[in-house]
Amino acid sequence: MAPRVDRMLPAGVVATLVTLVVVFYYPVGSVLVSAVSDAGRLTLGPLASVVGDPFYHDLFAFTAYQALLSTVASVVVGLPGAYLLARYEFPGRRFVRSVTILPFVLPSIMVAVGFLAMFGRTGLLNDLLAVVGLAPVELTFTLEIIVLAHAFYNAPLVTRLVTAAWESVDPARVETARTLGASPLRTFRDVTLPQLLPALLTASVLTFIFTFMSFPIVLALGGLELATVEVWLFARVQSLDLAEAATLGAIETALSLGLIYVYLRFEATQLSGRGESRGRARTPLVAGWRSLADPKRLALFAYSGVALVLFVGPLLSLVVESVTTADGTFTLRYYEFLLAQQTSTAAGTTRPLPAIANSLLFAGGALLLALPMGVVVSVVATREGRGSRLWEALLTAPLAVSGIVLGLGMLRALVFGTTLFGYRITVTGPVAIVAAHAVAAYPFVSRNVTPALGSIDDRLVDAARALGADRTTALVDIELPLVVPALIAGAAFAFAISVGEFDSTVLLAEGVDSATMPVALERYTGNRSLGPDLGPATAMGTVLLAVTTVSFVLIDRVGSGWNQ
Amino acid sequence: MTHPGVEVEGMRVAFDGVTALGDVSLAVESGEFFTLVGPSGCGKTTMLRSIAGLTDGVEGTVTIDGRDVTDDPPEERNVGMVFQNYALFPHMSVHENVAYGLRFHELGDGRSEDDRVAELLELVDLAGVADRSPEQLSGGQQQRIALARALAPEPDVLLLDEPLSALDAKLRKQLRVQIKAIQQQLDITTIYVTHDQAEALALSDRVAVMHEGRVEQVAPPEAVYRDPASRFVAEFVGDNNLFDGTVTDDGAAVTVDGATLPLPADAAVTAGASVTVAIRPEAITVGASRKVGETTLTATVETVEFLGDAYRVHCRWRGRHVECKTMAAAPPAGEVTLGFDAADADVL
Repeated sequence: MAPRVDRMLPAGVVATLVTLVVVFYYPVGSVLVSAVSDAGRLTLGPLASVVGDPFYHDLFAFTAYQALLSTVASVVVGLPGAYLLARYEFPGRRFVRSVTILPFVLPSIMVAVGFLAMFGRTGLLNDLLAVVGLAPVELTFTLEIIVLAHAFYNAPLVTRLVTAAWESVDPARVETARTLGASPLRTFRDVTLPQLLPALLTASVLTFIFTFMSFPIVLALGGLELATVEVWLFARVQSLDLAEAATLGAIETALSLGLIYVYLRFEATQLSGRGESRGRARTPLVAGWRSLADPKRLALFAYSGVALVLFVGPLLSLVVESVTTADGTFTLRYYEFLLAQQTSTAAGTTRPLPAIANSLLFAGGALLLALPMGVVVSVVATREGRGSRLWEALLTAPLAVSGIVLGLGMLRALVFGTTLFGYRITVTGPVAIVAAHAVAAYPFVSRNVTPALGSIDDRLVDAARALGADRTTALVDIELPLVVPALIAGAAFAFAISVGEFDSTVLLAEGVDSATMPVALERYTGNRSLGPDLGPATAMGTVLLAVTTVSFVLIDRVGSGWNQ
Repeated sequence: MTHPGVEVEGMRVAFDGVTALGDVSLAVESGEFFTLVGPSGCGKTTMLRSIAGLTDGVEGTVTIDGRDVTDDPPEERNVGMVFQNYALFPHMSVHENVAYGLRFHELGDGRSEDDRVAELLELVDLAGVADRSPEQLSGGQQQRIALARALAPEPDVLLLDEPLSALDAKLRKQLRVQIKAIQQQLDITTIYVTHDQAEALALSDRVAVMHEGRVEQVAPPEAVYRDPASRFVAEFVGDNNLFDGTVTDDGAAVTVDGATLPLPADAAVTAGASVTVAIRPEAITVGASRKVGETTLTATVETVEFLGDAYRVHCRWRGRHVECKTMAAAPPAGEVTLGFDAADADVL
């Protein structure tokens, strides 16, 4: 029995590496190579034509500009939240704290539809303005709505990281400063702030990376008028200008790899030891009627109101708009549409039920692939020794490569086919989608499982080995059972990532047969023949919201690791 | 021919180029209670883990009951190990914990797993907790379960790594009596690691005092206490007063800061050599009756600690700190006469 399991890990390592090479490194590598080669010859031609083109200068400048604005907005919105969560006690604080993980699992195309449902021409905001007799606001296809949607996504990240840092500030240090004569403000500046800054900078760098590479939000809310590199890249692929797309993708990947490198270097210099320490006592937010007149508290209430509108508004609008007509009466028409369209397949429209089925099927497949890959990477990363840094790099690489570039690579290398040893190897769209989803999802499995594995006392394994278990048996008997909650949370994450994945799916889901929920959603949003209202899109978005909410509940209830 | 229970030959271990163990050899008799004692970082735990096979990059050989296990992984060495933090498997019941090693070991006489678990829980006085989760037990109970788990597969040697350090003082004393009793009942070769020299003296058949990756002395507890082999042992085991001085021309005394302290008659010293004389606090009397031939020093009392059964008196003599212990009814004060028998002094 023992020798059999002892070969499991090396086999898993090899399988993981092979999978990554086939579905990630080779496709992405082929994109990068094609940017500097033409028919097998090394050339700087394609690169030079992009670098020398003023249009692309503007494109990259605008992409960086909107990312910078979005980062500032995310910090402005997220920072007061961290203060509120770290320093005040109020009913629902723990819930709010755990909800800050939600944006990770919300499909961005769904959030974009939510923003349209809230701020769009026929959205909830304008409906409300009309009720009080005010002129409608036009926010669709503006930079403002893109920045707002990016803040929706990344402000919770800022809140999350800074809250954790704030909670880990040793109260004894603060108290020491006070007893030495420092005022509260001075203490904050000298003691607390230096401990918050690294977290704030980390969150800012991450936000910049995410919004630099943001795709569905810019596509749905900005269109080609406000195109970023990623959206333009997508448009190039759509018009089958693959060479230019590859060049663009190579430059973008190089930039994001540089940013990720900065991020990793920076993160490494930070002190570890996060988590909710015993911490300072929190002040009750409401302590009698008197406290309501406190200007600090009034500001926090005002902030909470704004946050509620920004974060709950779009999701609520999504659901509300999915059951109301343009004139405000209740309807189930859009849900009927989701069901009815199955029989009357207009050519080229995406059928909703197969899209839902595809999403679930692909997510199941991606899970089957991502779970073992993620566990193997976690096990290797946890066991110190040579190569562990290499694995960390392997783990973060998918973060640096946009879904569009990966989709493009897969399209060229796998779907269109590769000749290997005289054999033509091709992969169908659905298989490529599952593979792309697994690549996007396995880092989330690892990021859940690695800390859980790492926190297991080494001596448990030592004890098992002294009792006669070999190393792999100890892994199976002791370590894996102890990380089951993290595994479930990681699986829920992977599932949600797959269900919401849009970037590579939209490239790989050619035709109507392999469309997923997010792809269908985007097509309904863009399809004017369905009428001016967002009805079908909001109905589909609500279904997507329901699926991702279930994933979130699993992550929150079972995977306690993310809440510390 | 009988083999030693555990024999270590030329063991060396280095972590990142820093020597943790430098060329250590030891032989532990079969059935012996052997303790490795020393301050933190002395290499005692590394030594224990190396015997268990839990350390990488160990040089030298390890034999257990005459079997060379040097190249064996831990699971093939047949050792029982108990850790400071118990290391019970939190996702298994007490029964499953104790039975875990039986998955990998056949019991010689065909006893069932359940019988063996019941037997061991009885041995550690915890019959009736088999179905509980480890977290429902107190620290002392958890450590007894860890002991039962280590003993269940009938190991050739029991290795205990600071098993009592996480417990409070009273429990620590109770449990060490119980560990000693079980060890004697089973007659199992036992290697015990502790930083607590009092624990080492109380439990062991023999003690190895370790310092900076080396073994300073291996001897029965009494010998280690009364006849320390080095200055380090003299200072680490129990309290001691150390006087550095020069042996007089006749070799019968030592000059310390101009004062002459007589040496024990059997001291093997050469005239003019630099030596250290060690005198235990309890060997020094404070004031009171003088015996003939006693060495006396006039000192000043600086602080007195009440210990319950005695006073510890901190004195100053010629600028040096001298500590002594007295059972006197009242604390001494002011200028006092300290006395000791030259035979109680130890020359290092």
